[in-house]
Amino acid sequence: MKKFLKYMSPFAPDQSGACSVFYEFGGLIVICDAGGCAGNICGFDEPRWFDKKSAVFSAGLRDMDAIMGRDDKLIEKLSLAYDQLGGNFALIVSTPVPAVIATDMRSLERMGEKKLGIPCIALDCTGTHYYDNGEEKAWLRLFETFAKDKKDTVKGRIGILGATPMETGFKSGDSLKELLPRLNDSSSDAGEYVIYSMGSTLEDVKDASTCEKNIVISSQSLKAAEYLKETFGIPYEIKYPFIPEDIIENVKKEVSGNILIIRSQFASNELRNIIKDSSVDTEMIDCATWFSLNKEYAEDNDTALLGEDDLTDLLKEKEYDTIIADSDCLNLLKSVGFTGRFIDYPEFAVSGRGFDFTGII
Amino acid sequence: MENAFYQTAKEIVNAGYDNLPTELVSSKHLIYSSPATLSFNSPGAKGFGVKRAGLAVPESVMLLVSPGCCGRNTSLFKSSPEYRDKFFFQLLDDTDIVTGRHLMKITNAVDEMLEVLDKRPSAIMICITCVDALLGTDMERICRKVTDKTGIPCVACYMYALTREKRLSPMAYVRTSVYSLLEKTKRENRDMNILGFFTPLNDSSELYTLLKDAGIKNIRELSRCKTFDEYKELSKANFNLVLNPEARHAAQDMQERLSIPFIEILRLYQPDKIHNQYLLLKDTLGVDFDDTPYYENTKKIIKDFKDKYGELRFAVGEILNGDAIEIALMLIKEGFKVECVFATIGELNYRFLKVLAQLSPETKIYSNLSPTMLGYENDEIDCYIGSDCKYYFDDKPGIEWCEDTEPFGYQGVNDLFTALDAALSNN
Repeated sequence: MKKFLKYMSPFAPDQSGACSVFYEFGGLIVICDAGGCAGNICGFDEPRWFDKKSAVFSAGLRDMDAIMGRDDKLIEKLSLAYDQLGGNFALIVSTPVPAVIATDMRSLERMGEKKLGIPCIALDCTGTHYYDNGEEKAWLRLFETFAKDKKDTVKGRIGILGATPMETGFKSGDSLKELLPRLNDSSSDAGEYVIYSMGSTLEDVKDASTCEKNIVISSQSLKAAEYLKETFGIPYEIKYPFIPEDIIENVKKEVSGNILIIRSQFASNELRNIIKDSSVDTEMIDCATWFSLNKEYAEDNDTALLGEDDLTDLLKEKEYDTIIADSDCLNLLKSVGFTGRFIDYPEFAVSGRGFDFTGII
Repeated sequence: MENAFYQTAKEIVNAGYDNLPTELVSSKHLIYSSPATLSFNSPGAKGFGVKRAGLAVPESVMLLVSPGCCGRNTSLFKSSPEYRDKFFFQLLDDTDIVTGRHLMKITNAVDEMLEVLDKRPSAIMICITCVDALLGTDMERICRKVTDKTGIPCVACYMYALTREKRLSPMAYVRTSVYSLLEKTKRENRDMNILGFFTPLNDSSELYTLLKDAGIKNIRELSRCKTFDEYKELSKANFNLVLNPEARHAAQDMQERLSIPFIEILRLYQPDKIHNQYLLLKDTLGVDFDDTPYYENTKKIIKDFKDKYGELRFAVGEILNGDAIEIALMLIKEGFKVECVFATIGELNYRFLKVLAQLSPETKIYSNLSPTMLGYENDEIDCYIGSDCKYYFDDKPGIEWCEDTEPFGYQGVNDLFTALDAALSNN
């Protein structure tokens, strides 16, 4: 049965992805929910929450708010919070409740801007989609809203687009910066990297036009990269420098034969290239992802998995000697009799496990 | 940025319960989402939310029918041995929500669940969320359909965050759900149940001894039932003792369906009030027991603690096994100072607040949920109690006091001071 999980837990939803992009920019972030979604986002999907304060709020919707469609009450609450705390902008993230009652998010956006006098962004999330969907909307709106003016290009300044804890499994920009030398960028003096959303500021976003080029690390940030290319002429490259060294070493040491990599698309592609470039003896390397698959960057046998059944069908169809994936899917693999080699490559959006913090939050 | 909002106990009581300031009424402002509020926004992230609570029925399994986001944090405990093979997820997509077709698929999902389970479950708990609340889904009907098809009892659990401040909150409703599979049977005079929590009371609580002294033979708790057969024995109780108001509706339901009456008492930390409650319990049951030795022992433990540490200044939070304001009141009555309390004021604890305002009018009352807590700067304290306080006062000695095992009665007070002693000694 499609959309039925017998072995795994649900993946990070779109509202978590949306918040993740905006988390560090000093705005007022309102999850338009009854509380549970905000709890899931902060208590599970946002590893920065425990040590980096951010103004994330739940709208605290109650049944009568939903039934009566009290948008004005939400804006009043938002206005009160703004009077108390200030903020660079307001972000309102939708969840299943506003999705069901068809809240007009554009209208909320206009009401918010009028009342607060600061940029207000409303993102249409539903909780039925995954983090990549929410991130895609958020990345685009982030740059559309704040990166408007063309400024002089700064030589060697490179933007990294798409990095969030959910995409990378790291919670701090400092951890990511340690891995950047792997980009081995000879095309520029490459001294100054701006990792948007992780260790950068809203000013960096406003100055996005000063970058010489962008490195795109996730398929969900492609639209934003396209926007920056069209608006400011900034070229972009697809790379994924954030695979931890121990994972790479382990993979090089352990893999053989037919290989399946299950990870977000650009990370899988990078790992495939690493294996291909190594001396490892392999036959077929397929990539699959629980999340979005951009055909332009996929090889023929790459697959988007829409649910557990898709993976079991794939394993019935093809025989893999090695599977590299988050160990959350191990029980599923065992259920279809997979006995090959398994290499754990944690994927935060799947299991909530990351690299620069201890285990699950 | 404004400083964190607070009012003194005296200011709040002078204005009256009907005039609580906006910042202390959660429905009037955005809810700040900090680690100190995790238990409010996501009860299941720590302790028991509806999902874990629904599985309190022994040998049951749960099917969560919802958008993926509602089951996301289940990863936190799904891997632990007691929850392995317990959770299944039927994820809704946009078309499901618009057409309601997901309801037609539930029996298929249950079939698939039963196929992969090694053992036939005692019950299937179907948990639905805000989406179905708004769609007006009749889950009772679906549950009957599942039972008819599989022969396994099926019960609906409502994880409706939208209704959390209603009289019948989701956590109150799920308590009713988990007892709903009990069937009327012959009651035993010397049997009783303790209702209120999803984990057992601390084994050393004097409540057990006192009830045994009063002639009770079997004291049962849902959380101690290992099998469905043991669970069914809960219906033999001659009466239910309710220790948490959230279990009142379940007790009322059992009174109506199973003719089991109930008595309600509170978990308190003021020794004199605990003593009074035991006197009332004794009278109500028409039995005899003597709690005086426990009472005297608790008073001695508190005195010894006070002699050792003097007039400590406390912060008391609300994420703990107890009521923040009642614990603060106890501390003040015992001669300590309470600089600040982090609490959600309701009708029940307002009664304690009124007394607290007389004894310690300047004690500050904050709401963890207020957006202004983003700018909270720590008060001067010596020691804290509460998981939320640990977030604010991580550099101070203190205790979280929210373990799974539930403290109760004098034992709760004794252990509280013992834990505080340990925390202060280690500092």
